[in-house]
Amino acid sequence: MNVHSSEAVAKGISLRQMNKFYGAFHALKDLSLDVAPGEFLVLLGPSGCGKSTALRMIAGLESISTGTLMIGDRDVTEVLPKYRDIAMVFQSYALYPHKTVAENIGFPLKVAKMPKPEMEMAVRAAAEQVELGALLDRLPGQLSGGQRQRVALARAIVRRPSVFLMDEPLSNLDAKLRGNMRAELKHMQSTLGITTIYVTHDQIEAMTLAHRVAIMKDGELEQLGTPKEVYSDPETLFVAGFMGSPPMNFIEGSIKDEVFTGPGITLEAAGQGDCRQATLGVRPEDCTVVAAGEGQLDAMVYTLEMTGDQSLVTFRAGATPLVVKMPKDFEVAPDMDAGIAFAPMSACFFNLATGQRLRPTRGTR
Amino acid sequence: MSRGLFEPQKIGEMAPASKALLYTALVAWSLFVIFPIYWLLITSFKTPAAVNEGPFFIPWVDFQPSLHAWRELFVLDFEDTMRAYVNSIVISLSATALSVLVGSMAAYSLSRIEFAPNLITILYFVALLIGSSVAIGIYDADLWLTLAVAVALFFLLARAVGRLYTVRLGNGDILFWIISQRILAPIVVVVPIYMMFQSVRLLDTHIALILTYAVVNMPIVVWLMYDFFNSIPRDLEESAQLDGATMIMTFREIVLPLSRAGLSATTLLVMIFAWNEYLLALFLSTSRAQTLPILVAAMNAGERGILWWTMSVAIIIMIIPVVVLAVVLQKYISKGLLVGAVKG
Amino acid sequence: MDQWLDRHMGRLFLTPAVVLILVFSIFPLVASLILAFSRVRLSAGGFQVRFAGWRNFDKQLFGSEQFHLLGTFGALSILGWLAGLAATAGLVYWLYRYCRSHFTVVGFIGRLITFAMALGLAWLFSATLLSGRPFGTVGTTLFYVVVGCGIQFVIGTALAFACSQHIAGSRAFRVIFFVPMMITPIGVGYIFRMMADTTKGPFAEVWQWVGLGAWSWATDPWAARIFIVIAESWQWIPFVFIMMLAAFESVPRDLNEAAEIDGAGKWMTFREIIWPQVLPIAATVMLIRVIEAFKIVDLPNIMTSGGPGIATESVSLQAYYAWRSLDLGSASAIAYILLFVTVVICVSFFNLVVLARVRSRS
Repeated sequence: MNVHSSEAVAKGISLRQMNKFYGAFHALKDLSLDVAPGEFLVLLGPSGCGKSTALRMIAGLESISTGTLMIGDRDVTEVLPKYRDIAMVFQSYALYPHKTVAENIGFPLKVAKMPKPEMEMAVRAAAEQVELGALLDRLPGQLSGGQRQRVALARAIVRRPSVFLMDEPLSNLDAKLRGNMRAELKHMQSTLGITTIYVTHDQIEAMTLAHRVAIMKDGELEQLGTPKEVYSDPETLFVAGFMGSPPMNFIEGSIKDEVFTGPGITLEAAGQGDCRQATLGVRPEDCTVVAAGEGQLDAMVYTLEMTGDQSLVTFRAGATPLVVKMPKDFEVAPDMDAGIAFAPMSACFFNLATGQRLRPTRGTR
Repeated sequence: MSRGLFEPQKIGEMAPASKALLYTALVAWSLFVIFPIYWLLITSFKTPAAVNEGPFFIPWVDFQPSLHAWRELFVLDFEDTMRAYVNSIVISLSATALSVLVGSMAAYSLSRIEFAPNLITILYFVALLIGSSVAIGIYDADLWLTLAVAVALFFLLARAVGRLYTVRLGNGDILFWIISQRILAPIVVVVPIYMMFQSVRLLDTHIALILTYAVVNMPIVVWLMYDFFNSIPRDLEESAQLDGATMIMTFREIVLPLSRAGLSATTLLVMIFAWNEYLLALFLSTSRAQTLPILVAAMNAGERGILWWTMSVAIIIMIIPVVVLAVVLQKYISKGLLVGAVKG
Repeated sequence: MDQWLDRHMGRLFLTPAVVLILVFSIFPLVASLILAFSRVRLSAGGFQVRFAGWRNFDKQLFGSEQFHLLGTFGALSILGWLAGLAATAGLVYWLYRYCRSHFTVVGFIGRLITFAMALGLAWLFSATLLSGRPFGTVGTTLFYVVVGCGIQFVIGTALAFACSQHIAGSRAFRVIFFVPMMITPIGVGYIFRMMADTTKGPFAEVWQWVGLGAWSWATDPWAARIFIVIAESWQWIPFVFIMMLAAFESVPRDLNEAAEIDGAGKWMTFREIIWPQVLPIAATVMLIRVIEAFKIVDLPNIMTSGGPGIATESVSLQAYYAWRSLDLGSASAIAYILLFVTVVICVSFFNLVVLARVRSRS
């Protein structure tokens, strides 16, 4: 692959208490973020959480109701998209259907009135970079999904913008292609070194691509951190439930005198203050299936699912399903009672009412 | 931040210059559209004197509105007006119903079943048609005898002729043939239609106008409904067929309810065309079946010149039903009309 | 029985439409052709039809009615010669270029017909209008079609584009712009006669002020023609507007936004992104309008009765007048000439413009 050194200097982006109102609807609430130059930041959240709105506001496609947006050290809150020096990859790719691949990639340069020979060279270089060199004369309608994706990428990189914005660019691809494109995207971003904001609802994409992940819910930022942080040290109940597949197991109960009591379980909660409605969370891979009575909790086996590289055992404890991840050759008969064991250190507690993580008030960690 | 007049001042807004230009153009055009209608409306409330003494623009200020013209049309000429009104309603409703029913049936079968008519058989049919027309028209052959001979010849030899060549046409050709009928200016066919109805003594009857209007508008129905039916997923009908429904049941129970939007839009369009039709009515109706457009035109052809006040009333009462219909069916129109239209 | 019915239901569904079209469209078409070659006389209880050969066409195209249908011919002016020769040269070059690039027999014959029609019309135009003589109903009809449809297309598209922008009140504008379509053509004719009245109409004072108070537009051929075109446009712009509005709104918003981010301005976005995508629809809309415009009859009949002289008479109207004077043969011949011109022009337009767009996209 022909690797270019980035001509544009990567710029940081900073969002200061950005808000968006659609009439009475508050779509984005006080979003503040700082993206370092060259960083790959993923905005993650379920649909309707405001992540796309935030991205479109950064792009300048939506106005910013209140707050400020800085790219580099320039205030661009009111600046039109074309003066922001950004490039964007749309979920639908937004390829111009009547233009050939070369014309599509060259369009931003044509707009910028670049001389023809130079433009052709730049288009060719960008196309080579995404391995599209042989398809320059095709129309988008004649390309496969993955190829269209590459055209959209090439159109974004051809101009060497200081910021990349991507709105779920991989969601229209099939699973296998998505995996390949993910790797390429990550490689390209790190070689170009361009600051990138990437919106997705797919936590695997977020985990694999991001330097840092910002998880959003209902227009609010829930947690910002490295993939590792948000996965293993979730700040809120929502983040804990959203990250991981299968998601974290939750058991509702209460904490009194540093002891968590729930249906069928009592667990020491060292250092925790009292909480009438608390939730205990523990990841499936932190649990193991043991004989009944030997773990922290007994429950009935509901099903056993083989996924190839592992076995998922689902239990029913009352109404809540609990999932345990076991090695691939694990066997257990359904409708049997078994125990679930986990290290107390791996459990985390949340306040059910506020959704916030409960941290030990005394230093035990 | 100051920007040029041709750049938006804010994100998501238009540049001030374009915005000003845009609103000027839109408002100017609105005035151009509305003013003639406004003038029509106020003229209908003017007395002859108020019309003749020069332009008056604002009721109660410039002139005293009166119901003179309305009274003239609805009290003095009540019979004529009502007859034309009833004629127009009966004719346009029946013609629309017939056209939409027959046309959408044809469109449905074209969108669901592969037809493969033999080209040679069709050519043979046309040759027979021309031959018998020439025989009847120019050589005075007996009408019924010639028809009988032609029909017999067709059925006897159609299969044999059809076997000669097996060039087959597809659904697209049939569709194109039906739609292309719209290119025909009515003037081309109206003279023979006039003679045809005269020979069966149906001139100046509702039936003549209903049949003619239905056929003239059928290409539109077939075109719009064909596209609309094509946009309905087929699995629904296939599942109905597996459940044992016949085609006619599938059409009635599944397809028609699903195509309400398309049907409404098509109905409205055809009804407007039939309601406003002028040339065919001019040929095919004289007094008993006279429709509103003919009445309006006849009213003004008298020696008194154009009576602007009564004419305005007549035009307004012609517009009202169309507006009412358009408002009632409004939510379907954009949905239905545009499915077919935009795909071209 | 049920099974038989079901198997043939498709055909049964199609048959009524085909029969109706055969009886009321194809049969009259054939009969009309026969009438065009005949002399029809009214006799007791019916008609007498006598074969007359080309006489009806001869009379219209070369004989006593030539001035009426085609126009008054005479020596060509210099301008006429120049325009005629230029058009001929252009058309010959067009045909030559086609032959050089991709020759097929069917394509060549089709283009030859288009070529002949265009050449004939070009010389007709040169010999009448450009040589300072009045043209006939064919010229008038073409004037309505070309100028009328041109105006409707440009204004309708512009309004549609304006309304496709996100602006306050665009819904209200849409409703207002749609209204003229609902008004009966007869009504439009009379309303515009009122508008144009120089003594009692709303603009009487304007007319007086410019010194045209005693002048009547109905006595000036060009004023009358233009007035009919204005009335026709008033009525039909809504149609173009609605269709083009739908076309503009069917362009994905993403593409607009992508162009905006790529740095394109409004005009460039329109020219480079939006227009190429609505072009196929625009061509279709234009075709529909042209087909309908060739049929124009009610407006000239209502507004001017074809006057002054024959200045605003369309071909359809001429055929109607011929029928009214019981000359059924001439009426049919005139109608057939109209049909021929319409079909050649519309089919050429369809093949060379609409289909060409479709082909170039796939």
